[in-house]
Amino acid sequence: MGVNKLILLTTITLLWNASLLAAGTQYNLRVDGLSCPFCAYGIEKKLIRTEGVESVAFDLEKGLVIVKVEEGVALTEGQLKQLVDDAGFTLRSVSEQPL
Amino acid sequence: MFRLKWLVVMVGALLLSSCAWFPSVKEPPYQLVKTWGGKGGTPGLFNEPTGVAVSKSEVFVSDSRNGRIQVFDLDGNFQRLLGDAGTGKLERPMNLVVANGELYVADYFNDVIQVYTRQGQFVRAIGKPGAGPGEFNAPGGVAVASNGDLFIADFYNQRIQQLDAKGGFIRQWGTSGETGVWAGEFNYPTDVAIAPDGTRYVADGYNDRVQVFSPNGDFSHKWGGPLAMNIFGSFNGWFATVTGLSVGPQGNIFVADFYNDRVQKFTPEGKFLNAFGIPAQGPTHTAIAVAVTEDGTVFVADYANHQIQKWQPSE
Repeated sequence: MGVNKLILLTTITLLWNASLLAAGTQYNLRVDGLSCPFCAYGIEKKLIRTEGVESVAFDLEKGLVIVKVEEGVALTEGQLKQLVDDAGFTLRSVSEQPL
Repeated sequence: MFRLKWLVVMVGALLLSSCAWFPSVKEPPYQLVKTWGGKGGTPGLFNEPTGVAVSKSEVFVSDSRNGRIQVFDLDGNFQRLLGDAGTGKLERPMNLVVANGELYVADYFNDVIQVYTRQGQFVRAIGKPGAGPGEFNAPGGVAVASNGDLFIADFYNQRIQQLDAKGGFIRQWGTSGETGVWAGEFNYPTDVAIAPDGTRYVADGYNDRVQVFSPNGDFSHKWGGPLAMNIFGSFNGWFATVTGLSVGPQGNIFVADFYNDRVQKFTPEGKFLNAFGIPAQGPTHTAIAVAVTEDGTVFVADYANHQIQKWQPSE
């Protein structure tokens, strides 16, 4: 019974660690003027076609573009600034967090 | 004495220009007859409607984030979907128009104009991504002339393109990739409409104005705030981002004034007549596109509330 529990715990720990290792990064971009879809879709279109980007979402209340990228992919602030500039906006700030 | 005379002249000029820049409503108010929709993915619900067009008996709605067009009768009863699968699958439909028996949809993500029969059969795609002649970078709206020529608001390319029915380039207005505030220049154009006499009306989005071009393509006139030069505001006749427009049955121009949550109605010369809309309750806005039927009923794509508004003039 004790051995079985140990195996179960080890398996869960390994799976948990694997899921952490497989997780990517979330970037929160603060951008003004997102409430117009002509603008928001422009940013979304550019970001979603960037290699490694898994999803793009908007928090209109906070003026945020939320970009999730897959494991091993990192976007630089310069890259993000260029993408946002190309979409006709100014990037106010960027923060990132692991997923 | 000399100075006093000039002062009187200047005050008079200011008063006159004030009247021109702050016009009053010239008609009885429009009445909201009904709304339909709500947020969702099933037929009859929308996820960010961004365009609306009408035929004699039906309303066509760009259901943008659902990647499809929904068709309703004039009372809002669901009829069918189109562009939701297979060849001609829409990615992010925007302003659209019914013309010459077909439906033309500006597909913002695929950088093409998708053409369907009114029943929903895909006919052809016009254009491809790019900045060259006949190419698009996020087309926002399209109008079709009686001879089949297309006029496309090519949003990120900062121009209006005229193509023949097969997509062959004819000419453009505006300089590719360059914004400007002078006549014939654009700042993210979003839509085009054509009057029966061939006059073209352009929603010059972030210039907060409408620009008008004669049937031969020459610049004619413009309106939207003082001097129509990117001065935005919420007064009558002013705009805060123009996102769509439509020609009504008497030739009047109906303009979706996005950040002001309203449709404004003008004479073809740009004289303000009326305004109506639903105030926004959240961070986004309620009037992104407009279409008008032959009897003067106005349909508005309400982006914030994921619904369609139906308005009629007072008796």
